[in-house]
Amino acid sequence: MAKKDTLLVLCECGNNIRDKIDLEAVRAWALGDSRISQVVSHELLCSSAGKVFFTAALKKFKLRHIIIAACSPRAHENTFRSLGVKAGVNLADVNLANIREQAAWVTANKEIATQKAITLIKAALARTEYHEKLELRSMECLTDVVVIGGGIAGMEAALLSSQAGRKVTIIEKNIALGGRVIHSEELAPNMECAPCLLSPRLFKIKDDPNIRVVSFAEAVEVVGFFGNYQVTAQKKARYVKESCIGCEACFEVCPVSVKSDFHLGLGSRKAIYTLFPGSIPAGAVIDRENCLHFKDGSCAACVSACPFAAIDFSEQDETLSFSAGAVILAIGSETHAPIQNRRLGLGLLDNVYTLAEFERLANSNGPTQGRILLKNGSPPSAVAVIHCAGSLSAEGLPFCSGTCCVMALKAGEFIRKQIPAAAVYNIHDRLVFPGPEMQSFFDKQVAHGTRLLKTPDLPSLTVAADQGQLLVTGKNLQPLRVDMVLLATGQQPAADSGKLADLLGIERSDSGFFKSDHYFLRTTGSTLDGIYAAGSCLGPVFADQAVLQAQSAAGEAVSRLVPGRQIELESMTTEIDPELCGGCKLCVSVCPYKAVSFLADQGVCAVNEAICRGCGTCAANCPSGAAQAKHFTREQIDAELEGILDD
Amino acid sequence: MKRKSSRAAKAAKISKPALRRTKTRKYAPRAKTAAAPKPKVAFYWCSSCGGCEEAVVDLEENILEVTAAVDIVFWPCALDFKTEDVRALPDQSLAVAFINGAVRTSEQEEMVKLLRAKSQLVIAFGACAVQGGIPSLANLKDKESIITRAYREAESVVNPKGTLPQENTTLHGESLTIPRFYETVYTLADVIPVDYYLPGCPPTRSLLEDALHAILGNRLPARGAVLAPNHSLCKTCERNATKPDRLMIQDLKRIHQVAADPESCFLAQGLLCLGPATRDGCGQACIKANMPCTGCFGPLSHFDQGAKMLSALAGIFQAEGETAADHFAASVVDPAGTFYRYGVAASLLGGRRKERSHG
Amino acid sequence: MTEFTPKIVAFVCNWCAYGGADNAGSQKLEYPAAVKLIRVMCSGRVEPEMVMQAFRQGADGVMVLGCHPGDCHYRNGNMKALRRFRLFSRLLAQFGIHQDRFVFDWVAASEGKKFQTVATRLAAAVQKLGPLSLTGYVRQGEPS
Repeated sequence: MAKKDTLLVLCECGNNIRDKIDLEAVRAWALGDSRISQVVSHELLCSSAGKVFFTAALKKFKLRHIIIAACSPRAHENTFRSLGVKAGVNLADVNLANIREQAAWVTANKEIATQKAITLIKAALARTEYHEKLELRSMECLTDVVVIGGGIAGMEAALLSSQAGRKVTIIEKNIALGGRVIHSEELAPNMECAPCLLSPRLFKIKDDPNIRVVSFAEAVEVVGFFGNYQVTAQKKARYVKESCIGCEACFEVCPVSVKSDFHLGLGSRKAIYTLFPGSIPAGAVIDRENCLHFKDGSCAACVSACPFAAIDFSEQDETLSFSAGAVILAIGSETHAPIQNRRLGLGLLDNVYTLAEFERLANSNGPTQGRILLKNGSPPSAVAVIHCAGSLSAEGLPFCSGTCCVMALKAGEFIRKQIPAAAVYNIHDRLVFPGPEMQSFFDKQVAHGTRLLKTPDLPSLTVAADQGQLLVTGKNLQPLRVDMVLLATGQQPAADSGKLADLLGIERSDSGFFKSDHYFLRTTGSTLDGIYAAGSCLGPVFADQAVLQAQSAAGEAVSRLVPGRQIELESMTTEIDPELCGGCKLCVSVCPYKAVSFLADQGVCAVNEAICRGCGTCAANCPSGAAQAKHFTREQIDAELEGILDD
Repeated sequence: MKRKSSRAAKAAKISKPALRRTKTRKYAPRAKTAAAPKPKVAFYWCSSCGGCEEAVVDLEENILEVTAAVDIVFWPCALDFKTEDVRALPDQSLAVAFINGAVRTSEQEEMVKLLRAKSQLVIAFGACAVQGGIPSLANLKDKESIITRAYREAESVVNPKGTLPQENTTLHGESLTIPRFYETVYTLADVIPVDYYLPGCPPTRSLLEDALHAILGNRLPARGAVLAPNHSLCKTCERNATKPDRLMIQDLKRIHQVAADPESCFLAQGLLCLGPATRDGCGQACIKANMPCTGCFGPLSHFDQGAKMLSALAGIFQAEGETAADHFAASVVDPAGTFYRYGVAASLLGGRRKERSHG
Repeated sequence: MTEFTPKIVAFVCNWCAYGGADNAGSQKLEYPAAVKLIRVMCSGRVEPEMVMQAFRQGADGVMVLGCHPGDCHYRNGNMKALRRFRLFSRLLAQFGIHQDRFVFDWVAASEGKKFQTVATRLAAAVQKLGPLSLTGYVRQGEPS
């Protein structure tokens, strides 16, 4: 038989409920119910006096279930649950029947509203029979930070977080830090030396005990939520021990030479290589694909050449795991290569380069040691720079990157520095030089001799080989004969950004860059709390912006991840009954937080209750009924259904 | 209150211990203890294909062991007994009646009620008796359209006058009566109280043997139990290891459209397999023949098998947005026939609107 | 004969649709009292089996309301619900339940007006269809 174990608390909500619902009729009904033991009412339960009254009633009657017929649980469930918990009532046992928003305010007829209010109380009552205790849980937030990407933004985020005393792990895909800024000799608009900018920061990172650099590695799994992330990375074998200092003794003896990615394919490197001299980490890496030892075991030249006995062919790929309160993404962007526009000649004609490739040619750490030369080894006397190459077009990039115009004019500066007599033409339609610094840079370049050729018909431009030179033709353009053509191409999302977004569960914008949580207010927050983004993975930016964004991201992360701060964990998690679970795994992929996993050794699935947010989607996906969302179990909902249909 | 108590009863019906208790095969056949009369057993069929009868025959030489232990007093499919023989028996004089097939005619109703009265135990034997089976797909149509289709429209029918079967016919002054064809198909438990359920299309030989041993050895679980393990087929499916942990299906295919890999999980191949929502105990006969599970062992516990599988399949289908969702929904040919092939009569929507009451 | 008052169950997610109903309340937007809510945390929690149970226990119309696409509090539970209930609608039709008795829609926490519209529309449709007789093709008097 039903136990009379329920206290019904009626709230008049001033006249909001009192005037619309016959509370006396409700009370009369309640006193006759087999489950309700006591009925009390108050004129405004959420007022200070009401709260005192509520607590007193709980203590006086000491009943198991408390049903408050009042307003929306969205408004006051927490209020009364915490009062209940303070008075020793479990939070599962304090529940609201929303007779204000769902009856009083939306039903004109008082009699019908009263009847509906009773039904809503019945429904709340019906489910209490199946309620089980819920546990209030919290955990201290993790304060460490994981940074994915070790370019200028990632490095800045790491340094700033470390400055706040946080342990930082940088996961870098390449074999060393540096990103793309290191590809440049100088940065516009003030022609600051890029290596000089980076180098001290690289060494600072190297010497920082708070920062761990995990290079040649990629994040493969990220689970958790703000304050509690678990990042798993796959680190590739380097085959060279950490004792390597990058002395390059092995380079000379290595018989294999391949195209260098660092030089964008314009130069070469050996099968054992470093990214650049003085890189962090300094150690070399053996390129397994091309190394003869791995091909046929025929070579071990580097082993004998190494003064530090650092070569280790037996090294294995590693899986590493890191805990962190926040993850900062700084994976950068990629240079768009408009190869589908064959008329521009990229990849087809000699001496046609993207600006990124040109920067390698002009860089002292580049394939030509910084000398700007044509394929035939002579310096160019006339160079054309074509703006918006591959940009603002449906088949290329549909947007303006906002960075290429500046780089385009910077090319002229580099050329004139080496070949003062060279003619530099910029063929453009629109020009973007935002702000006074950029504008004066532009004015200076024009003053120094860069010639501007404006045409509204950029898409019509054609580059053709002509008597050992290149001929640029197009509508509304005098045919132009030059030695070298540079394409000012835009920035596109990094190839990994889709994979990473899926891994993390964050959104990307239509252009494919990571989406900000809010364009103005939370630029460096991703769409998921605790995952931040900085630099050109949010969209093309200059280095200064990338650094600012990194500071913003790290600043917010560390200011929220205060040591000792508690983060509330979900009470209403999902549980899987291992007796019923058949291990079919269909709950695993539907979890938006990767809180559910298959335990192969036990043949069942299980929910990590530290990560579960209580949405219950896995419970709805469980074909054997083994997964149950606490406080929203099938039995509770069935009972509630009976309650609301019982009138 | 009635519903609540029936839900509690259902919850209690979880039959996990069923098989465990019946694992031991050895029992002392009562036949060998001389004078004691052998327990009497009846087999009967209602709306079914005969496959369940085959399952009994499939006991092969073990049937001799069975007949040594029991007296089969009624088995219309195999032995010549008459209804009158059953009527003549005292009430409760049969130890057990195995009844297969769904109930759709007045004759079937009469017979199962008769057997109920004469038997100490009634076992719903096979998918049709347990959940309505294939015959209960008819519940998706009404009686009139079924009769019209069968007697007038079917391609193989020649019936120029459009004659339809009549319950009572008078011919040459003689009155003929055939059983009444009901409006709908019922599970056995809709019509009479059922003590145990042996699912499957048909139940496997080993389940039947286990059940017989349990009955004879007096090792039966609580009444109302399903005599098969209460976990899904995936638990014992060898292919489950090949299923990715995070399975998302891109494209749903049908078995005739592809050459199914004989070792990988069907769902991982984009083939709909009801294994995750289906009770284990079948010995994976279909899976071993490289055919996905179609669900004949019914749901776990007291769930609605079709709803469970539908929900799970939709969850793991990779389709974001309304158009993609529509495309997915359209890609499941005949949802009711797919998800409820053996269980329309026992389903929440297609079953009789009456709670089962046991015992 | 008493006038038919339909019973309507709305499964609503805590974050959007329940908020939408609250918003209808605070704007004093009237809708039929027959519409009653079952709150779940996410529309992704709503099982087709629950909707069936609602019909079976006497509901004449059921709706499942979640957050608009992209607004799900739990990333994309609403998309899973969308797939489930698009397929479920086809199943309902096969079981002879009129499609107008079931609604799947999006209601944001600020859309009190939309909640009112959806609820009122379903109530009107169900009123027109009459009570749901889930006894299907079963006639009273058969096996008793």
